Amino acid sequence: MATTELPVPALPEAHEEPAGLVDYLITVDHKKIGILYIFTAFAVFLLGGVLALLFRLELAQPGLQVMGQNTYNQLFTIHGTIMVLLFAAQVSTGLGNYLMPLQIGAADVAFPRLNAMSYWLYLFGTLVLLSSFFVAGGPAASGWTAYPPLSDAKYLQGTGMDLWIIGLALAGIAGIIGAVNLVTTIFRMRVPGMTMFRMPLFTWGILVNQLLILFAFPAITAALAMLFVDRNFGAAFFDPARGGSPVLYQHLFWFFGHPEVYIVILPMFGIVSEVIPVFSRKPIFGYRALVFAFFGIAALSFGVWAHHMFTTDAVYLPFFAVLTMLIAVPTGIKIFNWIGTMWRGSISFTTPMLMAIAFIFVFLVGGITGVFLASPPIDFQTNDTYYVVAHFHYVMVGALLFAMFAGFYFWFPKFTGRLLSDRLGKWHFWILFIGFNVTFFVQFNLGLEGMPRRIADYPIRSWGTYNYISTVGSFLMAVGVLVFIWNFIVSIRRGQPAGDDPWEGNSLEWVTSSPPPHHNFHEIPEIHSERPAFDLRHRSPSEADAR
Amino acid sequence: MFLVVAGLLVWSMIRYRRRGDELPEQVHGNNKLELTWTLIPLLLVVVLFVVTMQGQNKSLEKSARPALNVDVLAFQWSWRFTYEGQGVEVVGAPGNVPELVVPVGQPVRIKLRSADVVHSFYVPRTLFKRQAIPGRTTEFDLTFEKVGTYQGHCVQFCGLAHADMLFRVRVVSPGEFQSWLAQASRSGAPSRPGT
Amino acid sequence: MTDEAAMMLRVSLFGFVTGIVYWFVSYEPLGTVALLLLGAGPGFAGLVLVQERRKQADPAESRGDTLRRFAGIPPLDPPGPRDKRDDDLGVLPLPSIWPFATSLGLAIMLTGLIYGLWLLVLGGGIAAYATWGWLAAINRENRYGRIQAEDDPPPEDQVTPAAEARADPDPDRADG
Repeated sequence: MATTELPVPALPEAHEEPAGLVDYLITVDHKKIGILYIFTAFAVFLLGGVLALLFRLELAQPGLQVMGQNTYNQLFTIHGTIMVLLFAAQVSTGLGNYLMPLQIGAADVAFPRLNAMSYWLYLFGTLVLLSSFFVAGGPAASGWTAYPPLSDAKYLQGTGMDLWIIGLALAGIAGIIGAVNLVTTIFRMRVPGMTMFRMPLFTWGILVNQLLILFAFPAITAALAMLFVDRNFGAAFFDPARGGSPVLYQHLFWFFGHPEVYIVILPMFGIVSEVIPVFSRKPIFGYRALVFAFFGIAALSFGVWAHHMFTTDAVYLPFFAVLTMLIAVPTGIKIFNWIGTMWRGSISFTTPMLMAIAFIFVFLVGGITGVFLASPPIDFQTNDTYYVVAHFHYVMVGALLFAMFAGFYFWFPKFTGRLLSDRLGKWHFWILFIGFNVTFFVQFNLGLEGMPRRIADYPIRSWGTYNYISTVGSFLMAVGVLVFIWNFIVSIRRGQPAGDDPWEGNSLEWVTSSPPPHHNFHEIPEIHSERPAFDLRHRSPSEADAR
Repeated sequence: MFLVVAGLLVWSMIRYRRRGDELPEQVHGNNKLELTWTLIPLLLVVVLFVVTMQGQNKSLEKSARPALNVDVLAFQWSWRFTYEGQGVEVVGAPGNVPELVVPVGQPVRIKLRSADVVHSFYVPRTLFKRQAIPGRTTEFDLTFEKVGTYQGHCVQFCGLAHADMLFRVRVVSPGEFQSWLAQASRSGAPSRPGT
Repeated sequence: MTDEAAMMLRVSLFGFVTGIVYWFVSYEPLGTVALLLLGAGPGFAGLVLVQERRKQADPAESRGDTLRRFAGIPPLDPPGPRDKRDDDLGVLPLPSIWPFATSLGLAIMLTGLIYGLWLLVLGGGIAAYATWGWLAAINRENRYGRIQAEDDPPPEDQVTPAAEARADPDPDRADG
């Protein structure tokens, strides 16, 4: 069996020193950059979580006990902004940066220095946005959607809003550059023998995710630029008194905003599509269907933006209603395929597998409630209430977090050479799962009773009960996350050594050492199917060799 | 739908627990199955869409002759209700919740505008809301089927006191409505809540 | 046509079809333009890929050749049947401070839009200097050849899975 050998220089053996701070500053290695992304994104996640805990404390009881209205408005604005725009998309970019080149057998991404620049732009964008906490007037208080005229200089003065815009613009540029990089890598740098339809599904998820970024981020960058110019240079894009239109902003924002949520979730589909086959000891059921479903969801996601605008009376409702409902079809295909993978499999309930299964449950709830929202008459009732808040937290938090942690537990051994504790992992899992559902399930009821979103206080005292329960749940979630952090700290030094392939994985990254060497692979086997590591273990090409 | 899928999941988890080292049958897929679970949801979507359009058209129905025309102006952070042609106006302020009085069982035409930023007019009881966007006027009909007093909110985040931008709708019998209207127009000046 | 080109063209088709349908059901300009651009972007990319595929003399271009063409390095001379050099994973740049510096410059520049011309100029200066450094590094690499970061060979006692596969093609055979 022929193999692909790298030119190995004839040098005395060099030991890899643990990387210092300067190494990270000048690195162009996708693995280190991936780690930087993941750590930064996770830090942003923790900050966003703390902000949420603060305002959940306020909401637990009717009346204003903990903070004033302005502070409340600022907190939920920044919470939403950093969670959606500075954590969710980047944690996938980080995992993708580290893993995708490994999964396709490349030594690095197509443009390693540009890759580093993407990360630094993201970091600086985040810092610029967070610096708004320290300026007069404090951070933006416009909601993460920042609709004008409210976000215009006339109604929200102060540099906080401007820093918000600039921070996001930087992160947006970072995203676009990164997308060019990763898409080029996937198109051009696969190891010979790895056709597109032999790539692992996580890589497919990253491909579609980055393509979405490429075509959606320009819309938000345009909207942000226009808002900035309106605010600071006297333009009137969105000012109705001078011929502008607030609806224009909504269109631009949501043309980006809807693909954004798929940007967030599609790599998570990819993670789950890796984890479930490994722990069911069966190949993924319906590989091609899953690939087409990825593209179906991605394409459709560009056609549905105005379902966020049903209540404006400014959009053509049937077009958006039908396209939104249609997204349920490829999404359903994916869920059936995941279950089909588990069916008649041999399932081990390790922590990553538990997380992946929880993902399916949680995503199911979120997805079904999304189909309800796709219906304009239902949306007329539920839009801008806690029903929507519950829906998107189910998909963007529940589904995202469980898949993300599935990925962390699954790939931590590959990154570090050690396993995370499975015992602590199970505590983490159960506390997070229970906490999450307690927090957000009651919010569906609050929404159906009419509780609006983005309010510091509520007039109907009986809403206090559900709000109190939701707050308790949120603190439980925080405990779950703390258990994970503890697990990380303990395992990074004393975790069980993992070896190259602790899980009997399917994709190429399990063929190399843990952590991988600088050039990723000392030797790459021939690729005959979408499961090269599996084939290697079983020494014969798997049946999917028809390509 | 949820129960079916969740049920399948739970069943798989229990029935197909790992029991040894033997590899299960390495099935890659089943095209017939894929087609089935593509077509059935597709069909469900079509049905759902038709039903949705019917519901939508009903909720957006506008009567040819509404019993009442009310101009609603949303502003930071309360509401002004102007009864067209009657010379009656009700204005609120944060902390002073304005009340919209309407007759029961008759379509009320709301003409909604905003004086400043985007707001949204929402009475949960009506299962309906509409954004008030500056520079645009939007119209819709509300018909209240039962006498009572209902809470209303602004549901599009509009700044500092968004949470306080409340209003109430008091639905009364047509007779009561006429007498309220007569009394309100007699007193001349825009009425504050409580009069 | 390659898989990549096919994918891009299908997305492009979706964009154009939905854009046109959307115009005629809503007459809403922004969404229409956005959807048509969604058609144009991937469409352009797809056509480029198709064109490229057609121009290639040898459709089975080895990855080494692709990387070299891509990086602007002249092709192997003489070109010939595939040999081990073709599977060279290519060259990687050395660690560099320029990405960090360029990003810093750009971030300061954009923040200068808020705080004044002086900050904009400062940021612009840093970004310009960093860009110059970056381009100089590229120029140097093109002229004098790339210098690879050295890699460690695998430790003596470690057998990579691929090497193991070569040594023992069929471990399930009865005679072991």
